[in-house]
Amino acid sequence: MFSTLKSILGVVACAWILVGCEAAPPPTNLAPAKEKAAQCVEPTEDIRKNHMAYLMQHRDATVIEGIRTKQHSLVECINCHVTPTRADGSAVHYEDKDHFCASCHTYAGVKIDCFQCHADRPDLASQTNYQHKLGSAESYHFSTKLSASPALSAQDMQAITSGVVQ
Amino acid sequence: MTSNQVNEYRRRFMAGLGLAAGATLAPNFILRSAQAADVVARPDNEPASSAKRWGMLIDANRLTDGGASMVEACKREHGWGNDPQASAEQQPQWMRVVKVTDKHTKHSFTLPVMCQHCENPPCVDVCPTGASMKRADGIVYVNKHTCIGCRYCMMACPYKARSFVHEPLKDQKPHSPRGMGTVESCNLCVHRIDKGQLPACVEAAPHAVIFGDLNDPESRISQALKALGGTQIRADLGLNTGVRYLNI
Ligand code: SF4
Ligand code: SF4
Repeated sequence: MFSTLKSILGVVACAWILVGCEAAPPPTNLAPAKEKAAQCVEPTEDIRKNHMAYLMQHRDATVIEGIRTKQHSLVECINCHVTPTRADGSAVHYEDKDHFCASCHTYAGVKIDCFQCHADRPDLASQTNYQHKLGSAESYHFSTKLSASPALSAQDMQAITSGVVQ
Repeated sequence: MTSNQVNEYRRRFMAGLGLAAGATLAPNFILRSAQAADVVARPDNEPASSAKRWGMLIDANRLTDGGASMVEACKREHGWGNDPQASAEQQPQWMRVVKVTDKHTKHSFTLPVMCQHCENPPCVDVCPTGASMKRADGIVYVNKHTCIGCRYCMMACPYKARSFVHEPLKDQKPHSPRGMGTVESCNLCVHRIDKGQLPACVEAAPHAVIFGDLNDPESRISQALKALGGTQIRADLGLNTGVRYLNI
């Protein structure tokens, strides 16, 4: 009787451990970022291949000459593509696999040093023009496509309220 | 009304007030308070031009706290002063309150000291990579993309205005990148000036500071300097600083 109980307990424990093993970190959700990439500041293929060249050119123009256009600004990349916090409120940083930039850089084995100095996520407290994907006040991303203010569909609303949208 | 419109409205209202007040006062009377209208926003795609040279006139008598609130505002704006692993001596210091006492009379006063934005900056002279630079409009700062952390500029600066970042940092302010292994200093809040805002420290002590274009003889700062004078610290060095003081 006791041994049966023991073996049952053993099986349960094993199953418990196995379940624990399976509960790996949740997969990176790139859907919102991909959605946004479709309306990125340059065509997707171009920006994937050449974002570093754009950034490099822009950083020199900004720091040395004081040109502050937004199209190729790193802060704007972060505003659009990186969520300030995860759904549970924890911070997402470049070291984490689910950070937008890291998701690709880790895969490609590219280590960059931008984020040794630059903020790797939007600072909501001090940044009033943080761009939400939909209905941003500064909608230069969409200016060529939208003339009127974008109407939100029921699906959009659900996405926003569920916190899925980055 | 969006907040931008509100600001714009306020700015115009204040500018109007300034004009009205100016008309009724004797022409050589200088209103000594910072005004947003002293800085005009430049279009995003336009480079800074040497037609302007930004400067600041600080009246030490009017700084009731000796300048402490200006320092606090700078810390808040740029996020320095609380680097988690640095000892007290290692903490970056973009701006500090300095107390000066006359040995004989024992008279003492305080003044806030930050980068003086020299016209002939020794820090730029000694930088081996060109990272320590002067922008066309006279603002001196460090281009951290090319800074190798050699700290020559820290040695060269007669005002002890520059600091070094000793440790990895996180969650910097998006408008003010700071990072390990680079030198930093007051950048005259370049991100704010370009948008047509006053530097953070000026906003924190509006009654004691005038900010504006030193190249424009009509600007309030030029007129104030003409009428009231203004002291450069270590004027003997001939650096022609952009930051001037009254009553020190
Ligand atoms: S005060 Fe120091 S850091 Fe500033 S411009 Fe002059 S030498 Fe350079
Ligand atoms: S101008 Fe800006 S960076 Fe310079 S001391 Fe004032 S607040 Fe700090």
